[in-house]
Amino acid sequence: MKKRLLSLVMIAAMSASLVACGGSDGASDGSSNGSGVSITILNSKTEIQTQFEEMAEEYEKATGVHVEVYNADTDTTVASQVATKYASNDPYTINMVDAKDVYSLADDYAYDLSNEDWASHTTAAITVNGKLAGFPVCVEARGILYNADAIKNITGKDFDPASVSTLDDFTALLEELKAGGMEAPVGLLSEYWSLGGHYFSQVYEEQPDPDAFVNSLLAGEEDLASNAKFNELMDSFDTLVKYNYARGSASNADREETSMKLAEGDIAFMFGGNWDWSVINQYDYTENLGMMPVPQNTTDGSNEKLVGGGSKFFFVDNSDSTTDEQRQAALDFLNWLVFDAEGNSFLTEDCALVPAFDNIDSSALDPLSLSVKKYADEGKLIPNYNYLPDDQMTVVGQEIMQKYLDEAMTRDEVAKAVVDYFKTATPIEH
Amino acid sequence: MDNEKAARNKNIKHAIMIIVLAILFVAFIFPFIMVLINVFKVKADITANPIALIGKHGFTLDNFPNAVKKMNFFKVFGNSLIITISSTVGTILLSSMTAYLIVRNNWKANKILFVLMIASMVIPFQVLMVPLVSLYGGIFGILNHRITLIFMHIGFSLSMATFMFHGSIHTNVPISLEEAATIDGCNKWQIFSQIVFPILKPTIATVAIIDAMAFWNDYLLPSLVLGRKELYTIPIATKVFYGQFSTDTGLIMAALLLAMLPILVLYIFLQRFIVEGITAGAVK
Amino acid sequence: MKTNTISYKIKQYLLFAGVSTVIFTCVVIIPFIYGLYLTMTSWDGVSRSKPFVGIDNYISAFSDSGYWVSLGRTFIYSAIAVVLVNAVAFIIAYMVTSGIKGQNFFRAGFFIPNLLGGIVLGYVWKFVFNKAFVELAGAIASGNVKSLLATENGAIAALIIVSVWQYAGYMMLIYVAGFMSVSEDVIEAAKIDGCTGTQSIIHISIPLMTASFVQCLFLTITRCFMVYDVNLSLTNGDPYGSSALAAMHVYNQAFVNKNYGTGQAEALILFVICAIVGGIQVYVGKKGEVQA
Repeated sequence: MKKRLLSLVMIAAMSASLVACGGSDGASDGSSNGSGVSITILNSKTEIQTQFEEMAEEYEKATGVHVEVYNADTDTTVASQVATKYASNDPYTINMVDAKDVYSLADDYAYDLSNEDWASHTTAAITVNGKLAGFPVCVEARGILYNADAIKNITGKDFDPASVSTLDDFTALLEELKAGGMEAPVGLLSEYWSLGGHYFSQVYEEQPDPDAFVNSLLAGEEDLASNAKFNELMDSFDTLVKYNYARGSASNADREETSMKLAEGDIAFMFGGNWDWSVINQYDYTENLGMMPVPQNTTDGSNEKLVGGGSKFFFVDNSDSTTDEQRQAALDFLNWLVFDAEGNSFLTEDCALVPAFDNIDSSALDPLSLSVKKYADEGKLIPNYNYLPDDQMTVVGQEIMQKYLDEAMTRDEVAKAVVDYFKTATPIEH
Repeated sequence: MDNEKAARNKNIKHAIMIIVLAILFVAFIFPFIMVLINVFKVKADITANPIALIGKHGFTLDNFPNAVKKMNFFKVFGNSLIITISSTVGTILLSSMTAYLIVRNNWKANKILFVLMIASMVIPFQVLMVPLVSLYGGIFGILNHRITLIFMHIGFSLSMATFMFHGSIHTNVPISLEEAATIDGCNKWQIFSQIVFPILKPTIATVAIIDAMAFWNDYLLPSLVLGRKELYTIPIATKVFYGQFSTDTGLIMAALLLAMLPILVLYIFLQRFIVEGITAGAVK
Repeated sequence: MKTNTISYKIKQYLLFAGVSTVIFTCVVIIPFIYGLYLTMTSWDGVSRSKPFVGIDNYISAFSDSGYWVSLGRTFIYSAIAVVLVNAVAFIIAYMVTSGIKGQNFFRAGFFIPNLLGGIVLGYVWKFVFNKAFVELAGAIASGNVKSLLATENGAIAALIIVSVWQYAGYMMLIYVAGFMSVSEDVIEAAKIDGCTGTQSIIHISIPLMTASFVQCLFLTITRCFMVYDVNLSLTNGDPYGSSALAAMHVYNQAFVNKNYGTGQAEALILFVICAIVGGIQVYVGKKGEVQA
């Protein structure tokens, strides 16, 4: 007994002394790089964290600047993480955030990037109150992902996405696939961000004037149930639901499994975006994958366009916690991404991102990104709407659309629930 | 005759209990079995069929070296160890002393402290989270030190540990023993360190396990206090894997296994200690 | 030595509780008071300005119907989980202290779930519910089997199952300590007086273990009321937001919907309710202890 107690006390004493040394090394490490400058980056595109870390090592070898890349925590919002860092006076030098966060954070925390050379090479940067605050990391778009090989196996013909731009044609193809042995050719993700943030948000984005539409929803003056766009998109959604492989337990579909089925050709279509590539490429994918607009019976041309644009933005900290040297290093890093061949290949080849800058060559992209690039180059992107109330995604995505996905709600009920939600929602100032 | 019958009844009863326990036990460790099965498979096979013993890509050990490397396992293991041990020892010493003071002295200050402590046990951590970092990071600038985290760990676990020691001093430490010691000329500190503390061994072991585990597994507080990579603890490092949209399931399984092994070993060690402690301390 | 002078009391207090008081005040009390102040501002959790608004946040907390719905749900969840956790823990504790073979092994084994942190544990169970169980059930029943997590009541049931699984081992440990503290002599004496095993549990062990019960109930009640990480990683409110418990609602209100002040105010209301329920329970328990 005595010995055990003694050994515990010993461990305690030892660890106490370790702590004493440990405390000091923790303090000095932040600025231990002698001659070189050290900057930190918050990466909220967590699927490219590994590539980011490898790049940081190479970058330090080439420039002498030490770059530490931190992975955002997916259990909470990026904005609250950035805010927590500011609250503790320990902000990142460069923060990668979503478009709407740039609008809320820029006034207080972002450095003005107007004088940077890259500014003239992009149309996707974000300017807030005259201050160029957001550097666009990439272009991302939403639509229907397809597996052309799986379709060709059944129809015997090469798949042309343009041939199914209307819902009628699309339904005919689905029936053909079904008759050919593919029981349920569609996959739908059940996550609220997919349903509310990616699918339903198209209802606002594809209006002639999204801002006016959302404002009239907020004012409680919109008759959503008879809105043409709403009904067209819901018609398409109904079809997707009908042919969903997970029908019956649709709200519990697993993202990994759905992506795997598309990759391997068990299903032919899935609603998503080019970021899904990072999931799909983990499986034995077939060669001919691509993206196309959501088929709709419409005349407004939205069935020929993807929805998307600049996605994820860097802003550089303007507070006193960052020294001028660090800030300069951060600006150099952004320039390196846009104008250096190494920086370009990091974006397009290592991370497979569609660049938001017109001077960057992007022929080596993955198939989904190539589709997005093609639509972007042809000017066929419907822009994201960045001023939806903060809880739109959870309320409409989880409480309403997830129920609709499970066929536990009618379309009229959806319209009414959305209208009711907007009556009490807090508008985003802009 | 009666004795024989009683013995047989006892045997039957024990057999039934062992069977019930065995069934419950399997249910309790089922998730761990799942981890064990899947740690030797590649991701594609885990998604395709999680309950198969071996997937079509075959058996793999790659998940372990990968996880060790990506987590920087030995470094974060060291951090977790230092923080867990120091915080646990600190909590036990401070809370047992505080509890002793509270139980044996019916002073107003003690009552106030104890009530505050009990009340603090039901404060959701989210309430304190932002104020905590604003004060200690924003105003005092002492985040990013292990010692800060250790103090905070002790601060948050004091209440519960004091509460447990309070109960056990109240019921298990006979006051007559202390009175005898006072007559022998012991002062309060000697009484506490030489008589009371040793009697508390079962509770010490229990608190040690409960707190060590809580510290070992804690994610939220360390992630707020330790923002630098070289200070990361095991849960923060494990989280790096989850952080990815496309989670590498096989790697996570390996990381999970690595993360819980040390605490499992500690538990098995202390588990014997508890039993000994209880038998040794049972002489009243 | 005089033991009732003020200076003696202060010395004793500083010796035994001085450090504790300082740390406790710095880490818990001061941030709590600062947090209280934040509930009176309309801070969005992000920007630099924290405009003072008085009790507005409490008014919006009281009119936030989603909050009260989630609170009601938390009551139901807690009531069922607390009873089950303690029943299972007590029964297991009884069995592993009855002198059967391998009781140390079982004591260790049932505690294992506690070795996993809440976040990790939620992910593992999600995997089990969605994959392993569905796969197993599909093999037995054939056809498209719905995961428990996909239905509204099922998701709450799943949360309860995981809570029982998580806490039963922990509470078992406290009950085991309780059983061990009931001296053998008393039980033997009762047997000689003709008590059966069950009778001695009900009339002797349980009353003598009141302290263990008070502790376990207090811990399970407060933990169930404040459960967050398992809720997050296991269901995240799915399906349809029907499984979001109070702490999750509070967290989302503060950090996702960026109503920091309102979220903080709702968290404080949750704290007050918890404190009242916990306080009543301890008070009643202590009274019972005195009578026994």
